[in-house]
Amino acid sequence: MTVTHDTDVAADSPVKATPGLTRKGALYGVLSALMVVFCVVPFILVIVISFGRKVEGAAWVWGFTFENYQRFFVGTLWPDEVTFLYLQQLGYSFYFAIIASVLAVLTALPFTLLLTRLKRSTQAVWLVIILSSLSMSEVFIVMGWDILLSNNSGLPKLFQVTGATQWLKDVGWFQTLRDIGLANPRNVKFKPSEFATILTMSYLVWPYAVILLYPALSRLDPSLSEAARTMGASRWTVTRTVTLPSIRLPLMGTTLLLFVFLLGSYVTISVFATPDKQTTAVAIYSNIRGSNLNAPFGSAQAVILLISASVCLYFGHLLNRKAEAR
Amino acid sequence: MTDLILSGVSKMFGNTRAVEPTDLTFAKGQLTALLGPSGCGKTTLLRMIAGLENPTRCQIKLGDDDISDLPAHKRKFGMVFQSFALFPHYTVRENVAYSLIIEGLSKQTALEKAESLLANVQLNGFGDRGVGELSGGQRQRVASARALAQEPQVFLLDEPMSALDAKLREDMQVELRLLQQRLGITTIVVTHDQREAMTMADTIVVMSNGRVEQVAPPQEIYHRPTNAFVADFIGKANFFDGLYRSGGVMIGSQALEAPANFAPDSPVRLAIRPESACLATEPGQNRIPAVVGFVRDLGPVREYHLTTDIGPIIVEYAAGSGEQKLTAGDKTLVHLPAEALRIYPRTAA
Repeated sequence: MTVTHDTDVAADSPVKATPGLTRKGALYGVLSALMVVFCVVPFILVIVISFGRKVEGAAWVWGFTFENYQRFFVGTLWPDEVTFLYLQQLGYSFYFAIIASVLAVLTALPFTLLLTRLKRSTQAVWLVIILSSLSMSEVFIVMGWDILLSNNSGLPKLFQVTGATQWLKDVGWFQTLRDIGLANPRNVKFKPSEFATILTMSYLVWPYAVILLYPALSRLDPSLSEAARTMGASRWTVTRTVTLPSIRLPLMGTTLLLFVFLLGSYVTISVFATPDKQTTAVAIYSNIRGSNLNAPFGSAQAVILLISASVCLYFGHLLNRKAEAR
Repeated sequence: MTDLILSGVSKMFGNTRAVEPTDLTFAKGQLTALLGPSGCGKTTLLRMIAGLENPTRCQIKLGDDDISDLPAHKRKFGMVFQSFALFPHYTVRENVAYSLIIEGLSKQTALEKAESLLANVQLNGFGDRGVGELSGGQRQRVASARALAQEPQVFLLDEPMSALDAKLREDMQVELRLLQQRLGITTIVVTHDQREAMTMADTIVVMSNGRVEQVAPPQEIYHRPTNAFVADFIGKANFFDGLYRSGGVMIGSQALEAPANFAPDSPVRLAIRPESACLATEPGQNRIPAVVGFVRDLGPVREYHLTTDIGPIIVEYAAGSGEQKLTAGDKTLVHLPAEALRIYPRTAA
């Protein structure tokens, strides 16, 4: 009985499958079109505009010139004069992004390791808190840090009121802070400074670092470090020779991801970085929406930033493969 | 090498007592198996010996040295973990050389010594392989070689065969025992497999609910279990509950001769191994009418599953022992020899 029934269904199935397949094909078609319209087209537009020309008094016109790229790498006066202003901005983008991402991962690592050793229920509470902190916008966080580091109402004021400033002067460290730009003649000052920029950027991505590291660290077999302990390794040796090498792939992956994320950081740099240390992301904004109104050059900068990030990701990928092969 | 002595070692996890205060002596050069069901505290006890778990109360001495407060990395007891815990980012040779490099040997010397240690466990030529390229048995050997590289005074193994298939497990038990005998190292093996314990151990420590139930050589544990738990856990046994009455036990209306010294009407539990019971044709003392319910022929042994007035009984014969051949439904008599019956007090629980 059952066999006969199945055979009937099998015989019917090609007829019934056709409309299903058509519907599936249509769905894929619509999804592909949406992908093209919303992801690929804007991306191609940016590339195309980067070869356009700015028109004084107007916006820009289509064209095919390498002027914008030339300006980025050697300046507008080339070959008479060479300037590296925009390359320098790209350098600062990398500088801030590298230090902030490494700092975030280095501080998130011990926290996440401790987190994985807590009870499951406690871990869940912490993860919910960390996940919910991701909902805060960059503007909101930067505003908080701006107040915290401001000279009149933030930490510098606290230093002054509690006598910490005077103590720093007494022990001779105040001059060191002045030398690295973290103090004026009267008191400590934290902004604008590299310190404030990197600290805030690290803070911004720190929850991401925890979330990205958590799965790998929670899967880390505790018996690996215990085995090393029974073989005479101290806690530090275990960390250095067993724990860190075991999680090097997620560590590298997390750092790379945060780095790429921070390359495009805009608000933090605008608020905390000194004018001579602005980054490509800030320059892109001022070219496209800001005072310069030079969309072709802004687009060229965006394309270069994108290519730089891709190159970094590629090298990261190569390193990962090398490590995996090992 | 010297004896390892535990005095009053206990462990609490919150309000749960994982290990009751325990006194044990592990004789030097001997292999002791900590045997018991899951959750009986045997791994916790082993981890306390290794220094990986802090005992709630204890004194652990290695000969005359009190090592109770010594951290794991200073005890340096070689340990093989259930998962083998081989470092995936090192090659086989680097894994084995790990403790030697930690000890301060140059990398070159350590790697050379590792190669000879690998030869000891029949893994010549495997040094350059990654851990992922090894079979279960090879991993087990690498883990043993790695743990023994530092020439530890005590060798600890936590369920070392549980990840291996049955056939390989049997081979590795013999191999590990031969290695231990060759090195003459004091060894403690945690296992829940009584066959593994019987194969390898000089002494078996049977544990249950955090308590040591019996410490004895394998044959004594098997033939003279000190309580019903040990009789039940080690090998197979038939059990009958009854009341002790002057030189015998009343099980329902059936009286069985079973010499012991209990107060009259004490609740007791009788145990007898299936191979100690036998089928009989003539009535007599401790011979009970039975009906064959099922015959299980396993090749080397044949089991008769019998139904009797005092409960089900399994009788086991070795192949070729010439017992009367019965089939399901046959009526017979089962003989429970008084000298083979073990009698234990029965608690309300």
